[in-house]
Amino acid sequence: MSEDRKTQVLILDDEPIVWKRLKPALEKAGYEVEAFTQSSNAMRRVQEKEFDIVVTDLKMEGIDGMEFLSEVKSRSPRTEVIVITGFATMETAKESFQKGVFDFLAKPFKRGELLEIVKKAEAKVRQ
Amino acid sequence: MTVFGKLKKVFTGKKHRRQVPFVVLFKTFQGLLDKNNKILDSIAAMGDKLGGDYVFDKNYIVSSCQEMSDLVYKLIYDLDTIAPSKYLNLYDAFQRINHEIEEELAGRPVIAQADYVIPFETISRDSGDVVGGKIANLAEVNNILGLPAPEGFVITTTAFNAFMEYNKIWDGVKAKPLTGEAGKEVCALIAQGSLPADLKRALQKSTEQLQLTAGDEKLFLAVRSSAWGEDSIHTFAGQFKSYLNQPVEKLVVRYKEVIASAYSPSAIEYRASKGISEDEVAMAVGCQLTIDAKVSGVLYTLDPTTPEREAMVINAVWGLGAPLVSGQVPGDRYLLNRTPPHEVEGLNVRHKRSMLSPKEDGGTEEQPVPEDLQMKPCLEREEMLRLAEIGLVIERYFKKPQDIEWALDKTNQFIILQTRPLNLKTQMAKLVCNLTEAVQEYPVIFRGEGQIAQRGVGAGKVVIVRDDEDMEDFPAGAILVSKYTSPRLAKVVPRASGIVTDVGSPTGHMATIAREFRVPTIVNIGEATKILRPGQEITVDAEENVVYDGRVKELCYYEFTEEPFEESYEYRLISRVLKKIAPLNLLNPHHKDFAPEGCRTFHDITRFVHEKAVQELLDLEFHERNLGAPAKKLKLNIPLGLVVIDMGGGLEESSEGSQIEPDQVVSLPLKATLDGMMTPGMWSTEPVSVDLGSFMSSLTRTFSSSLATPKYLGQNLAMISKEYMNLSLRLGYHFNIIDAYISDKVNDNYAYFRFLGGVTDLQRRSRRAKLLAELLEAHDFRVDVRGDLVVGRIKKLNAPRMVRKMKILGHLVAFTRQLDVTMVSDAEIESSKETFDRLTAGAIPERN
Repeated sequence: MSEDRKTQVLILDDEPIVWKRLKPALEKAGYEVEAFTQSSNAMRRVQEKEFDIVVTDLKMEGIDGMEFLSEVKSRSPRTEVIVITGFATMETAKESFQKGVFDFLAKPFKRGELLEIVKKAEAKVRQ
Repeated sequence: MTVFGKLKKVFTGKKHRRQVPFVVLFKTFQGLLDKNNKILDSIAAMGDKLGGDYVFDKNYIVSSCQEMSDLVYKLIYDLDTIAPSKYLNLYDAFQRINHEIEEELAGRPVIAQADYVIPFETISRDSGDVVGGKIANLAEVNNILGLPAPEGFVITTTAFNAFMEYNKIWDGVKAKPLTGEAGKEVCALIAQGSLPADLKRALQKSTEQLQLTAGDEKLFLAVRSSAWGEDSIHTFAGQFKSYLNQPVEKLVVRYKEVIASAYSPSAIEYRASKGISEDEVAMAVGCQLTIDAKVSGVLYTLDPTTPEREAMVINAVWGLGAPLVSGQVPGDRYLLNRTPPHEVEGLNVRHKRSMLSPKEDGGTEEQPVPEDLQMKPCLEREEMLRLAEIGLVIERYFKKPQDIEWALDKTNQFIILQTRPLNLKTQMAKLVCNLTEAVQEYPVIFRGEGQIAQRGVGAGKVVIVRDDEDMEDFPAGAILVSKYTSPRLAKVVPRASGIVTDVGSPTGHMATIAREFRVPTIVNIGEATKILRPGQEITVDAEENVVYDGRVKELCYYEFTEEPFEESYEYRLISRVLKKIAPLNLLNPHHKDFAPEGCRTFHDITRFVHEKAVQELLDLEFHERNLGAPAKKLKLNIPLGLVVIDMGGGLEESSEGSQIEPDQVVSLPLKATLDGMMTPGMWSTEPVSVDLGSFMSSLTRTFSSSLATPKYLGQNLAMISKEYMNLSLRLGYHFNIIDAYISDKVNDNYAYFRFLGGVTDLQRRSRRAKLLAELLEAHDFRVDVRGDLVVGRIKKLNAPRMVRKMKILGHLVAFTRQLDVTMVSDAEIESSKETFDRLTAGAIPERN
């Protein structure tokens, strides 16, 4: 991957406030960001385009986060997935990690915390 | 009957106070303290979310509120166990507050109750909910910045609600989603509706009052919308109706037309597109005296089309401004440099053939412009300058470039009609894209040397103010540099872009004024008056506590790009529920309002319950009667009025009478804590003077004045057994709890330390918190700090080591008693740490 290409990030959360707060922070940090509220739209998008990093909620209407991240990982194993959820349980955390999730963050979180994780994920993708 | 009503009835039905075994009583008290702590933690955690660091969603708000409500309810129940049936009205208070929170969460905002009609001059900064965005902005411009605005009154959102209820219109509105068709029906209902009698009366009274100002002349009013959130980041520009120059007879009809415009198809569509809920519609209506304008227009304090040129744009027409605002006529266009002396950079004078004027019998009419004025600029150079300065005063205050409607009246005075932020986020982003690199190009004059009194960024020329003469011609937009923070500088504060002083305190009167006008201010910086030269351009970054040489435009513009998090639905919702949770109104336990009926928030209830629970346990008679184990006063050589209740094995068996000596204490944790407190040198006996500013700040703050009441200063309680201690302390002005258990079973051992409050401002208290945290950490405690709240925990050490930790806690209690008052700078943290270590080293030869 060339160094000057911006790292591509997709955010999916059915609560618009979440990506509204994250998108500018990531963009200021130099990432190219696409954000979605509807999981079906996000699903269509990952089928068209390969993202470096995917940030997704778990509990959503329609296609849920677990199904979405399975699809992402099976299409593009190199994509790193970060789960953000307000209903963090050991079960869901375990299941996410089994599916190869990069990290798991419970809501609410600080913007800086997510930024740190995204940076680490980026380092791994760019290896 | 509600569940609470039933409960209340069951409790009141009891004739006698229950006799509760002491073990149960004490366990309940412990549980109560635990809930008290959890509630306060939770309030702090929710408050943190307003800071902008966190990403949270509505689920978080809902679940936090549910958790809090559950805890508060159980807290009340605990108090009822300790003092059976004594405070049953707390259930009513709980139910009332909880209901309001539930209504907010369900999307039915509880509009703050206010008068139906309020005169402009009594509107304060917090009145936004009641008077709507537009009028709130305008009232601040007039009441705080002192800039002229039309006189008048506002018909509040409370009146709006009353009108909608009185005419039974809400049902049609609450059907979601609201379609354009349904909206039309709502408009029709409003038009047919009539005003509740008390609203009519209030309106009558206010117009009569206004007539007094107008004198003999017939009263004409502009009737303008002022909806919730209007003129914030959502401008609702042109969505709602306004009527100019209306005679009083038409006021009611126009009022109804303005509120109906909230349900026009375009307004409904606008809300849908901006994610504003139908439940958030509340329309206040402003009624302003008609301004007979010579010239009217609009000022953009930053030209949105080419912000990089850093120009201001003025559009102007003869007469009233409506045709310009609605875009019917272009008007003159003047471009001025934003930097004083505001050079004119462009002058586009149009041919102005007609103008709008107030009609004698009401309404407006078009009139021809006299020939000699048709090609003449509407504003003179001097007038443009004055307007530019006014614009920047408003911009600095609201921290965003502004879109200002103004009029120049026949006496040549500028009147502000409306102001709202210009949304230039995208354009601004381009200007600050290389912020980090840009800032490095400017030399730093001061970094971290002063104390921030008001946050923000300001740039301008240095004006060193030494005496009264200097102040008369203080240029607008300059940086005020002075040796002292003197109240006499107050009159130039609104004109300054920033303030730097050699000495002074962030709690002083001057700092209060800087905050009032939101002027970025750094005080106590050292030698600003010597190092800075008059006329030198500097940038005061009172976010990072830095002063740069030169005008760092990127920093100034960066302020404008800050994400308007405050405008999101979630922010608004959490702010609204917090209003019913966080403020503390019950300050003085001796005041008559210190009662369940006076509780307006969960914090009030929590405060009340805690106060009463401690009081119940301190009641000596109560113990005599209930326990046969009276509370005893401990005789100490330090001024700490400590009452000890022994639950078993905590005192020597021979301890009789109502007083005991320290050496009669057997309880391991208490013995060690007392040892620590009484270590020579730890208990500072020097009286520390508290300056008036510090003291004043204590009056408006959580956990304050009651702690300063002498009677309560000595009210300290230790509940002990051989292995256990729960110590509740109020020393000086703060609040301290230590809970510990020490036995031979290592796994059961723990110590918990909790510290909150103080008499001075948050910054000094936060410094003390930082000091405490560092000291606790140095002694292996796990530490959690939130603002000025410090919690330290340690567990599972063997008994001798636990005893040493308790001794440290004793030292800390004694040592930090009044430290917040002396914590005037960050350097104090280090020096205090050294002093503490020195004293501790003498007292505890063995560190582990």
